Amino acid sequence: MQSAEEKQAPQGWKRIGRAIMDAALVPVLAIFSAIIVGGVVIAVVGGNPFAAYLGLIQGAYGSTKAWSETFVWATPYIFAGLAVALAFKGGLFNIGAEGQLAFGAVATAWVGYALPGMLGVELPAILHIPLAIGAGMLAGFLWAAIPGALRAYAGGSEVINTIMMNYIALNITSFLLNGPMKDNNPLNVIARTPEIAEGARIPVIFDGLRVHWGFPLALIVAFLVWYLLWKTTFGFEIRTVGANPDAAKYAGINYKRVIVLTMALSGLLAGLAGAVEVTGLNYRHELGFSIGYGYDAIAIALLGRTHPLGVVLASILFAGMRNGATRMQFLTQIPVDIISVIQALILLFVAADAIVRYIYRIKAKEDRLVLTRGWGG
Amino acid sequence: MKKMYVMLVALLLAAMLIPACGPTAPDCSKVETFCVGVVTDVGKIDDKSFNQSAWEGVKLAEKDLGAIVQYIETTDAKDYDKNIATFADENYDVVVTVGFALGEATVAAAGKYPNTKFIGVDQFQGAVTPGLAGLNFPEDQAGFLVGALAAQMTTTDKIGGVFATDAVPPVWRFGEGYRAGAQYVNPDIEIFVVYHSDVGFDKTFTDPEWGAATSKSMIEKGADIIFGGGGKTGNGAVIGAVEAGALAIGVDTDQYFTLPEAQKGLLSSAMKLITPGVFDLIKLAKDGAFPDGNYFGKAGFAPYHDLDATVPAEVKAKMDEISAMLLDGSLLTNVAPVKP
Amino acid sequence: MDWRRFSFIGLIIVILFGVVVLIGGEQVSPLIIISSMLATTITVATPLTLGALSGIFCERAGVVNIGIEGMMLAAAFFGWLASIYMNTIFEFNAAISLTVGVVMAIVSGGIFALLHAWLSIAFKVDQIIGGTVINILAVGITGFLNRQLFFEKGSIFGGNVPHAPGLLPSLSKSLTFLCGGEQGCFGLPDLISGSVFDQKPVAISAIVLVAVSHYVLFNTRWGLRTRAVGEHPKAADTVGINVNRMRYINVVIGGMFAGLAGAYFTLESVPSFEPLMTNGRGFISLAAMIFGNWTPFGAWAAALVFGASQALQINLQFFRESIPPNWAFLQQSYVVGLAPYILTMLILTGIIGKTTPPAADGQPYEK
Repeated sequence: MQSAEEKQAPQGWKRIGRAIMDAALVPVLAIFSAIIVGGVVIAVVGGNPFAAYLGLIQGAYGSTKAWSETFVWATPYIFAGLAVALAFKGGLFNIGAEGQLAFGAVATAWVGYALPGMLGVELPAILHIPLAIGAGMLAGFLWAAIPGALRAYAGGSEVINTIMMNYIALNITSFLLNGPMKDNNPLNVIARTPEIAEGARIPVIFDGLRVHWGFPLALIVAFLVWYLLWKTTFGFEIRTVGANPDAAKYAGINYKRVIVLTMALSGLLAGLAGAVEVTGLNYRHELGFSIGYGYDAIAIALLGRTHPLGVVLASILFAGMRNGATRMQFLTQIPVDIISVIQALILLFVAADAIVRYIYRIKAKEDRLVLTRGWGG
Repeated sequence: MKKMYVMLVALLLAAMLIPACGPTAPDCSKVETFCVGVVTDVGKIDDKSFNQSAWEGVKLAEKDLGAIVQYIETTDAKDYDKNIATFADENYDVVVTVGFALGEATVAAAGKYPNTKFIGVDQFQGAVTPGLAGLNFPEDQAGFLVGALAAQMTTTDKIGGVFATDAVPPVWRFGEGYRAGAQYVNPDIEIFVVYHSDVGFDKTFTDPEWGAATSKSMIEKGADIIFGGGGKTGNGAVIGAVEAGALAIGVDTDQYFTLPEAQKGLLSSAMKLITPGVFDLIKLAKDGAFPDGNYFGKAGFAPYHDLDATVPAEVKAKMDEISAMLLDGSLLTNVAPVKP
Repeated sequence: MDWRRFSFIGLIIVILFGVVVLIGGEQVSPLIIISSMLATTITVATPLTLGALSGIFCERAGVVNIGIEGMMLAAAFFGWLASIYMNTIFEFNAAISLTVGVVMAIVSGGIFALLHAWLSIAFKVDQIIGGTVINILAVGITGFLNRQLFFEKGSIFGGNVPHAPGLLPSLSKSLTFLCGGEQGCFGLPDLISGSVFDQKPVAISAIVLVAVSHYVLFNTRWGLRTRAVGEHPKAADTVGINVNRMRYINVVIGGMFAGLAGAYFTLESVPSFEPLMTNGRGFISLAAMIFGNWTPFGAWAAALVFGASQALQINLQFFRESIPPNWAFLQQSYVVGLAPYILTMLILTGIIGKTTPPAADGQPYEK
């Protein structure tokens, strides 16, 4: 069967369709397997998996409002997923999306609420929104450039460094939001910034629904990342360094510069996730309990096979699960933590695609991500 | 290979055709059904703290008032509106939102859904919103009482307090009330008060190991009574103190029942009675006598239980006296509502 | 031995202790401060030491393991669960329940490690990704089961928080019969017998295991083979060592260390489980492993540094009022809280001493 297909090389659209099929086959089967295993888990502990999944689907995609909320969740997921995917393409593992996102959000919130007062003028939205978002991007860019530089020039593993910088970022944001940046409205008692100015807010797309223009922005940014990676010289350099750093050196690529910039751009995208959450949805930054954007972003990037289109689709799926979980819990009282189990299973099956290929008898195509390098020293 | 796909498709179809046993929401639009929903903050419903206490109040309403009850846990602050709306859209009669963080979302929802009554736990109302009652507690008085108790019971004149954070006012009021109460009884007493504000906000309430290590460290410095407050961090402090042979004071509820490990050394607990407060408000809503604006629940200190025999009569008398003075307002704790 | 590294570590610990003694020495006797800080340091370093040993066994055999965090968390949960089952459902006494709990923690650490080994050896999944899978899976499973088993209506414990069988007893308490009294054991002053030596079984076994690991790795055939597989698997293969088998076994041993570290959280420190309670200690363990240059004693010393920095954090808060004004930054507990993470990053960049990982660390073996 395989050989027959190889003989007649398909043409044009058919070829693209086949490529998508090939790329999507393992992720789709991985999702399918994870849903089945997750269902077994629910059944074992005494729940009804069908009711749970039905509630999940209703809550995620069952109505206009549900779709709107799913897109609201998907927006930061797309940015953060792209951040991790871009780093993967450059052979770097960014576990630090969480911290970069938090820093982006803090910087954006500051520009959003403090800048008009400092300048003494009301800024028009056309200026204020880009300034606020730009600040968030810059914060993420600089914060991630640190582990990038440590990796390039001192050989320190970005894996541990980004994890450590997550904790550092959490501590610093806790400090800022409890102290200098705390909302000093007398009725406020929690760690959060004041509300950003009206002019710094991204408007919603439809009245009465929360989905805002940040979602289309995320799609545009996904396209830009694709364009950067596959249509520009710099993108070629990123992919070369990622695929084979030695070859990159011999080809005369300044690979240290590429590593720093890749990491920084990855941080910029994660910072953008935080910036858009603040300007488009929450209108302030508030300390929440860790909800694990960083890990979700890794799962999304891997499920999307580190391709921007895949990241967008994976984000919409993960967003649907997070969003639909509310309705699932409302209807069946199955704890929302089951979503984390299903997500971990998806990631397991995607990462170990050999398992999926073995179960479903698919011939392997060698396309492995190789990231593990030494810890430096 | 083909067979595999056929099987997959068949399985998928089968999965889609099973909605026969799909879930349905209870119909709360009818007059005779009384539905109560809880929306947690980003903590969990089983946090052994205010989310769980509020939920227990709602479960009391299920038992005593025949209410249909349900909860939704919030995973991200951005979902507060959506989760409240999930109940309100289903015509729930009462929605309980737990924690200050939901304050603004609750006020907004009360304006949007006039047919639903809202109870905001630990949400102080700056202005009265029809259909919304904020349930608040004088935590500083409860802290003051156990502080006075500790100051009378210590033999080393050193006592300790281990708290989750000073950034959340109810916890801060417990801690500062404790300090004030101890100094009221004995101005020269040495008090170690430590707030676990040094970690990310996500960990300050859930670090029992830190609580235990801190309370042991205080005991090594001579403290013989430890007040632990603030979620699991406080629980860790209480258990750690009892383990190290000191006396401990619990928080929020009578922890004699929630921390059985600490029973032998638990002197008392500084209580804010969320469970009865939530239940009372639900009952008022059912009876059509729902109070808008702020509603103050009760605070106090728990019985001495196993240690009752070791507490001298004059201490008991003094405690009753302080308690009465706090209630009638002749004694003030002088603790600011929020950390200045 | 690497004396420069150890004296450097000793210096950091002395400085951390010295700061507290300088600030609080007038209020509380320095001897009490030091002994209390030492006790906190040793206790807090326990999971870090065991986590670092876990990393050493995996990486000496050539498998990178960032899943230690998840293994600890899963072990903390399943060990605790087993002890409660034994105590509540099967009605065994506390001692048996706790022992079973510790064994279960070790076993579940081993099972998660087996999954990691399977992914990285059989399927040659990138080991960082494999470790991440373990971490996410552990968070999901423990969070879900913790809720489903203990809270929901109709769950086996009827929605009530069950009684935990208590905690592992401290060593000095079990030795009191030797000296015939509650206090002043071995003629040592109370404050010392009451704190520094007042350690519990997991903490003590961690220290013992450091020595055992050192012996095994550097003085036995098994250790030699393990290191050969991690340094030069091809050569090891040619002399007849089964590379993948060695890796499987070492990763599982590593997982069992992480499992024992998990037992520390729920069976020795506090008798309850919290979602995410390991709180990043698995990652700091890795840093300790690197700081200690992949040697057991080095890793232990590094773990003590992290323990000491937490002891500093706790103790500075007692003496907050006595901090001199020009050191006011120390009052900001956030600032002190950053120390371990920044220290880790400095270590990784090699600014503080050079470290050399096993040569084949992270590379799947292909014949």
